[in-house]
Order: sequence, then structure tokens, then C-alpha cells
Amino acid sequence: MITGTLIYALINSVILILMALGFNLTFGISGVSNFAYGALYVLSAFVTWILLKTAGLPYALAAGLSILITTLIGGLMYRFILMRVRGQALSEVISTFGIGLAILELFRYLGFVGFEYSLPVFIDRSFHIAGAQVDAQRILLVLVSLFLILCLWLFVHYTSIGLAFRGIAQDERTAMTFGIDSDRMAMWSVAMGAGLAAIAATVIMPLGTISVEEGYEVLLNALAVCIIGGLGSSGGVILAGLVVGFAQRFTDTYIGPHWTMIVSLVAILLVLVIKPSGFFGKQKELEERI
Amino acid sequence: MKKRLWFAGIFLGLFLLITGPFQQGFGAEPIVIGVPTFLTHVDGKESLNTLMMAVDEINAKGGVKVGAEKKLFKVEALDIRDGAPGVPVPEALLGIEKIILEKKPAALLVGPFRSEALMASMDLIAKYKVPMIGSIAMIPASEDKIRQDPVKYKYIFRNCLNAKYLVGNLIGVMTFINKEFGFNKVFVMHQDVAWARATATGVIKAYFEKAGWKVLGEEAYPTGASDFSSGLMKAQSGGAQVILPIFDMASSAVLVKQWNSMKVPALMAGFISPLAGPGAWKTFDQKIGGAINVNFELGSAISSKKAPKSIAFEEAFEKKYKRPLEGGHGEAPSYDAVYILKEAIERAGTLNADAVSAALEKTDYHGVMGRTRFDNGHQAIFGMDPKEAAVVAAFQWTDKGGRTVVFPESIAEGKIQLPAGLKTAK
Repeated sequence: MITGTLIYALINSVILILMALGFNLTFGISGVSNFAYGALYVLSAFVTWILLKTAGLPYALAAGLSILITTLIGGLMYRFILMRVRGQALSEVISTFGIGLAILELFRYLGFVGFEYSLPVFIDRSFHIAGAQVDAQRILLVLVSLFLILCLWLFVHYTSIGLAFRGIAQDERTAMTFGIDSDRMAMWSVAMGAGLAAIAATVIMPLGTISVEEGYEVLLNALAVCIIGGLGSSGGVILAGLVVGFAQRFTDTYIGPHWTMIVSLVAILLVLVIKPSGFFGKQKELEERI
Repeated sequence: MKKRLWFAGIFLGLFLLITGPFQQGFGAEPIVIGVPTFLTHVDGKESLNTLMMAVDEINAKGGVKVGAEKKLFKVEALDIRDGAPGVPVPEALLGIEKIILEKKPAALLVGPFRSEALMASMDLIAKYKVPMIGSIAMIPASEDKIRQDPVKYKYIFRNCLNAKYLVGNLIGVMTFINKEFGFNKVFVMHQDVAWARATATGVIKAYFEKAGWKVLGEEAYPTGASDFSSGLMKAQSGGAQVILPIFDMASSAVLVKQWNSMKVPALMAGFISPLAGPGAWKTFDQKIGGAINVNFELGSAISSKKAPKSIAFEEAFEKKYKRPLEGGHGEAPSYDAVYILKEAIERAGTLNADAVSAALEKTDYHGVMGRTRFDNGHQAIFGMDPKEAAVVAAFQWTDKGGRTVVFPESIAEGKIQLPAGLKTAK
């Protein structure tokens, strides 16, 4: 029982990390809080479903196209809407939240409500690991996440765009004096964040069903993990994902599943009271010192 | 002269062609049926579809005889969104009032989706005196209200299953499993919402505790939960022979997928809304074989060869909409309700609300769900034999994607098959 709980707690943590990676990347580089993140996640899942079920494309092609489309939408969203309000935090939040609402409620209006919206698993098998039966999709999810984290690390350390990302994230004005186009990098970061949301949806959604409500839930989970880990900190996201993921699963097993809802909320409250910048966040350190 | 006769003949022919149908009811004011419900939910949407099917059938046969003249039915539907998250009850009430005042319906069918909206709308319906046959909201408290003031609330009826009958039928399924296999260890998993909590508590108190079953655990899951691994591990480690699920959320089918992939050796038998229709097999990756689902009414996405009307209903739906019926609650009663209303209007001979309500009380209709009669709380009586009462239908998903009705015995098409690794305790 305990090994099973540990295995499923690890999987739950990886799901949370995967959900938050894109939101964190966008905020860490451009400073934009993309509140349309959950909507982009759901949009990607519905696009995959449409391409798969109505256009009849092969699953891999449908998923790949959906990731590309979502990435493109993220880039266009920055170019035509966010660029005008960048730097005004409140306007950024209002506009991204508005876009998210519009996307999600449009799906509801168009009738994308029901039980039939689900994606198939990639591999239809299950394995016996340390006394617990685990399905291949969950194992694949962990492997994809590890691969994605490694790719992101290599990208920001060894590619010109990645290095420009880091430059903008460290000091935007100084980076601009080196010829780095701040708006272009911000557009890339929003687009990549959207793409990561789409990748997360592609591997997580086969475990459940696609629904409009999922958009709000994913946004809340991503926010919770980022706030607890420290906004903009990748290490913080991983640590927070592990803490919240394990706490949720142990609460589920030893206290009751209906209490899992409040685990992340309690964690946010505790972090805000004890260390408002989160585990590794830099945003409010100055105020905290004062 | 010949020319004139020709013109006169053509004129007369055209006149008869245009006015002919009106003499059979096309010209008379239609009888408006108002359908205020949650139309973006599968049960609301499909209930409207089955209702439209009944209306088209009746209209094609000339309509409804009201006294000396024949009238057609006309449907006015409105999405009151009462089942959507965050939509307050007063907003749903505004929708019901709007349809009553603007469309002047002779009756309301299907009605509110959530029980809260039904309870709150009862005074409104009584105020405007519009007969209503609800076929989705299940709260038994509405019957108590009708019994307490039968004059005021005489217009309100329900022909779908109520929560008490649901508990009774789940108990029936568990009794049947106990009788067949000798199982008496159960793990209860349900959604953390009022109706599911009440149903789970009802089955535990009224049956499991009294019949000597061992309840290994009862877990309540928040709406939207999609990982049931810890509950399933608890059920497995405790040696559960039966898992009783009670859910109506979309992600609840994941429970069955996980039960399947984790190979938990226990019989999954209860109610999971997404498993109700035939499309669930493809939607959930063909991973639901072995699960037993109690559809709330015979005909609501499940039919039995032993009940010919349910088969005819299923075939007619497929013919009309070019796809199978999905949704396990509200569809069959919504269809039957149109015929029940037709018969009541014809018996009353008028559209007067008091007369129609009095005629509805005398309903004795043999339809898709079985025989429909109303008790003194205006609730359709459910039983175990479609010849005597309306019935539910519990079916088991086969490993090849088929569905076999296994309960009640009067309409059963086969026996329950145990999942791999589970042996009978007899």
C-alpha cells in the first residue's frame, strides 16, 4: 500500500510540474502572467480531439499539429494583444484572463460539453511495479516530463534564443544594450509557454476527459505550484510540484480524497505568510528583507 | 366555358391542397410545450431530442384531439443552465418564468435539471398554473411538498426515477449480487455532491448494515477528480469483492479505466453517468468491460429484448438522428411524457391547467419505461416488472463492447460475469 501511494504520489507530482512548466517559463522570461494558460491547455486538447475524431488524422500527427497550432496562437496572442500592454501587470492579467475566458466559454457555447471528449492512451498496457499496478501512460508521462526538463535546460544554456531568454530574464535593459530584441523574446516565451501547455495536455489528457472546467483547474494548479516554488524559478516549480503532489496523494490515502482540494490552497497560504516569494523566488526578496 | 371550368378546377384543387391539412389541425393554434432545462448537458440535450421525436410522431398522426378539434404540438425550449457550475438558482427561475410568460405553454416537460432549481420553481409553476412533468431532477422532497399542499402544487408531476427509487434499485442490484455470488465485502466510492452522498448513505444504512455486509471504506471524491488510485488500492488491500461507485461527473469513467488497468479483482457495480451510453466503449479506450451500470430508466440509452417498446424506441431514435442514444437519465421519461400529456389533454378535452392536471393524476400509460402511474406525491411508481411499473435497467459491459441487461430479472438478458481474479464466494 505505501509503495503504491509513493509511486502514485510521484506521478501526481510530475503531472503538477508538467502543468506549471509553461506558465513558469513565460513569467520567468517576459514577466507576463499568462492567465489564458489553462484555456490554451484545453484548446490544445480539443484541437487534438477534432483532428483525430473528425478529420481522421493519425494520433501522433493530430497531437503534433495541435502543439504547433497552440504555440502559434500563443505567439499571435502576444504580438497582437499583449505587446501593447506589456509592463502593466494589471492590464496583462486582465487581458490574458479575458482571452482565456473567451476561449473556454466559446468551447462551451459551441457544445463541447459531454462525456465523449477524451483522448486515447499512447500505450495500452500496465506494469506491476513494487507491488503496485501502474499503467504505461503514467510511466510515459514521467519519462516525457524528465525529457522535457532536460531539453529546456539544454535549450536555455546552449542555444542563442535560450541565452537571450536568460539575458532578458536577468536584466532586460542590459540585454537590450546587447542587441537582444525584448519584445521578440517575450513573444517567443509566451509561444513556448503555450506549446508546453499543449505538450502537457497531450500526455495528461488521456488519463481523464476533456472539459471546459479543466481549463480553470489547470490554471489554479499552475498558479499554486509557481507561487509556492517562487514565480519564475524552474527549480522552485520542481520542488513545489513534489511537495504539493506528495501532500495531495498522502492526504487522499490517509485522510480522505475530498480534502485534497484544499492541500494546495493551504500550501499557498502558508508560503505567503512565511516566505511570500516562494521557495526560490526573487520577486519580493527586497521587501521581505525590509 | 371549358377554360373557366379548368380554372375553377385548378383553384378548387389549390384551395383544398392548402386548406386540407388545416382541417386536420394544422390551422388551429398549436399546443405549446415548454422545455426549460440544462440543454448543454448530455441528459438535457438528449431528453429534448427524444421529446422532439415523440412530438413529431404525434404530429405526423394528426396531433392531439382537444375536444372537437385536432391540434399539433409545438416545442419551445430554453437552456436555463441550472446544472452549470456557478449558475445561481434565481437565474434558472428567470428562465422558467420567461418561457411561461413569453411562450404561453400549455405544459412544461423535462423541467429543471438540478433538484435545487426544481424545489425553488415549484411556487412559480403553481402561481402560473402550468402542468409540468419533470423527467430529470430527482429530489423526493418535492413529493412531500405536493402531499402537504396538494391543491397548490397539483400541477407538478415527475415520471423519471427519484432518489429513493435509485437507492432501492441499487439495493436490489447488491441483493442480487449477494444472492448470486455470496459477496458481502464492499468499498463505496462516490462524488462529493449532495445527491451522491445521500444515495451512498442510503444504501449503506438501509441495506449494507442491516444485511451484514462489511463496508471496507467510503470515499467521497470532489467533482473533477481524475485519480482514484488510492481508493482502488484500499479496496484491493481490504479484499473488497464489490466496488459501489456513484458519480455523474465526466471524469468518473477514469475510475473504471483505472480499475481495469490496475486489475483490481472486485466487481464494479453502481452508477457512473459517462458509462450509460453505447459510445462509452470507444470514448474510454475499450477499458470498461465488466463494469455494471444502473441506467435510471429502461430506454434511457439501454433497451431489453424482453421489453419490445424499449427496442422500438432505440431503433426509432437511431433512424431519426443517425446515431445511437447516449445518456442514461431522462431520455425515456421525456419521450413517454409527451404521450402521457397527449392522453391527459384528450381525456380532459381541454387545455385548462386544472383539468389537464386532474387527468394526469389518472395516468395509466404503458410506454418505453414500462407502466407509468403516479402516486399521491405525483411521482411515477417504479418497480421490478415493466408490465406493472416503470423500471430501471442495470447492464454489464462485456469484454467486446456489448451491453447485457442483468437486472431486474424481468428484463434481464444474461447473467453477471465476474472479472478475472474474482471467484464466487458460494
